[in-house]
Amino acid sequence: MSAISELSSFTRRKGKVTAEEKKANKRDNKAAYISLLPWLVGLVAITIGPMLMSLYLSFTDYNLLQPPEWTGLDNFTRMLSDARLHNSLRVTFTYVFIGVPLQLAVALLIALVLDKGLRGLPFYRSVFYLPSLLGGSVAVAILWKQIFGTTGLVNQVLAMFGIQGPGWISDPSTALGSIILLHVWTFGAPMIIFLAGLRQIPAMYYEAAKVDGASTLQQFWRITMPMLSPIIFFNLVLQIIGSFQSFTQAFIVSGGNGGPSDSTMFFTLYLYQKGFGQFDMGYASAMAWVLLLIIGVFTAINFIASKYWVFYDD
Amino acid sequence: MPLFPRAASAAKHIAEAPTSGASRPGSKVLSPRIRTRKAGAVAAAVAAVMALSACGGGAAPQNADGTVELRFSWWGGDKRAQLTQEAIKQFEAENPKIKIKPEFGDWSGYWDKLATQVAANDAPDIIQMDEKYITEYSSRGALLDLSKYDVDTSKLDEAALNAGKGEKGLTGIAAGINAATILANPAVFQAAGVPLPDDTKWTWEDFGRIAAEITAKSPKGTYGAAAYGTDEASLGVWLRQNGKSLYTSDGKLGFEPGDIAEWWAFLKKLSKDKAVPSASEVVEAEAAPLDQSGLATGKNGMAFWWSNQAPALEKASGGDLKILRFPTKTGSAADTELWYKASQFWSASSRTKHPQETAKFINFLTNNVKAGEALLADRGVYPNSEVRAAIQPKLTPADVKVVNFIDQIKDELGEAPAPPPKGAGAIQEIIKRYTSEVLFERLSPEDAGKKATDEMKSAISN
Repeated sequence: MSAISELSSFTRRKGKVTAEEKKANKRDNKAAYISLLPWLVGLVAITIGPMLMSLYLSFTDYNLLQPPEWTGLDNFTRMLSDARLHNSLRVTFTYVFIGVPLQLAVALLIALVLDKGLRGLPFYRSVFYLPSLLGGSVAVAILWKQIFGTTGLVNQVLAMFGIQGPGWISDPSTALGSIILLHVWTFGAPMIIFLAGLRQIPAMYYEAAKVDGASTLQQFWRITMPMLSPIIFFNLVLQIIGSFQSFTQAFIVSGGNGGPSDSTMFFTLYLYQKGFGQFDMGYASAMAWVLLLIIGVFTAINFIASKYWVFYDD
Repeated sequence: MPLFPRAASAAKHIAEAPTSGASRPGSKVLSPRIRTRKAGAVAAAVAAVMALSACGGGAAPQNADGTVELRFSWWGGDKRAQLTQEAIKQFEAENPKIKIKPEFGDWSGYWDKLATQVAANDAPDIIQMDEKYITEYSSRGALLDLSKYDVDTSKLDEAALNAGKGEKGLTGIAAGINAATILANPAVFQAAGVPLPDDTKWTWEDFGRIAAEITAKSPKGTYGAAAYGTDEASLGVWLRQNGKSLYTSDGKLGFEPGDIAEWWAFLKKLSKDKAVPSASEVVEAEAAPLDQSGLATGKNGMAFWWSNQAPALEKASGGDLKILRFPTKTGSAADTELWYKASQFWSASSRTKHPQETAKFINFLTNNVKAGEALLADRGVYPNSEVRAAIQPKLTPADVKVVNFIDQIKDELGEAPAPPPKGAGAIQEIIKRYTSEVLFERLSPEDAGKKATDEMKSAISN
């Protein structure tokens, strides 16, 4: 939003630029480019360079120890018959399509509660935001592993009620669920954004609705949701992109092997195993580009679909 | 920039939120001149950082005073790190012009790191290498042929020496000799009131029966034995006892789907009888480091380990451990079909800038008594017979136990197994995965056998 205000001030100034201002602008631009330099160097050396390299490698057979050999589309055709890759796609899609909506729903719910003008709001906001800072970390993933182990905290509590819980993260039928739960738990970041969005809905709409006798639920569906839709859309896009790439939690919780029985074998984890464990970096690079493509497609779908449900108030 | 501030307080909250659109305070007050100066400082800092990182790359440089720095990487725990650093100290005292820089870590991260380093042309000079990966690295030209350098191999046991030979010459010198064993915790046996087995006569049925008995007579959570099926050692023994092998000498699989299915079927039976932990517990145990393993924490009566790991496990468990032979089909120790394995190898990077010095260090580790006195039996029994004899008095009781065991089985050994082919590094992961498929009853042993052998075949055919 600050970008918008700066842009508007920029357009306002147009037309009455003196020579001195021009000079100053030029100097400013130079300064800006110099300031940008660290980022620019980083972008070229750390992002674009390796990306192009990996694009090249995706068409080669590269075992890390010997120079890559051009094999054309071989890596991509091999993917068609790789059952473990298909499984990893299934796992990743399950994670994204269950984890993201759940997380956003929880985030919105908590944001709505906090928006009701709680005393000590900054404190609660921080408390709820904390998991977002920690959730992606190695330490929390290890903690998760302890809590959901066969003799972990969850099962100890269940045992008090006479229930013998499974090994949540070591049983193939519940392992992915535990990781999705870890993802949902990190609802803080979207929650903060929702909260900011809720605060921007003008109170007069609610007042008018109340006068007309609308119930709380009606107010939510008719006012809050449409007014908040750009924010929901923003969160959705961001979370979907992030979740497709999620790696750390599955890596730590499964001990790096996507187990048990590949039930937590995320696409990124399989990519890592292929590249670094099985000396198949060409294939891993090809997988990375497929992931980019998948994320691109889903983001595009998101944007197209947004035309039908996102309401911009201008 | 709140479009419709609901109330003054609301606007304040938004301003506090990290995502608020408040523009950076003060940025507009700075004069262009100061901004340029600031930018200059940033640019200088960037240049400095880049210069730093440029120094970081490249292999061991030779310093002006003629000292050479070599990098030496290994996997292993704290105990190994202490012993190895002591050996390095001894070497540096004898060779003041050579500095050895240690790099060590866990097994799990070691191979990812090594592969990346080799790919980046930044491999350590001296590499602790494993049987599973040596063919991969040597056949692809990443390891130095040590026979061309001054490394004395005349005192090495022949089997140990041959294990390091391949199509690209002598690319690894065995660091120690190992055997697959079952380690028993007598305290667990005693608490359950079950006598320790006679390992010269026991069969797999005995193993299952004893383990199940311990579980039944122990407190909840304690099991007679750890499950096998998490690595290829126990599978190798099983196959050899059935007249098969993991690999053939021409680099193919040495068994049929049915053979591995039988192995899993027996494991499934052990699991049904509660001789081994539940499927979930088996998966959890896989990830545990040595000192938190079921054997070390007194949760397992018996477990499958390499002989050189016994002292470290004994230290972790805080009690006495007994080294047992594997059970057999026939009940005769002569049919155990164990073998001497090179526990690990000393290898050198083919791209080392200082092959002479690297070879000198490997020669020191292999043949110098001082190295032996530092390393003792942590990497297995010393393959150099002279060093082995010289360090005998220095060994701890736990080490002596290992040396004695290796000695005892000498006449019962089977034929030396064929070396693992290229791609063998992936086999363990395949075994583990299908073991849990079987234990969780998601696949029958037969189906798991078929699928696993298919996957293994394609892993080693690349």
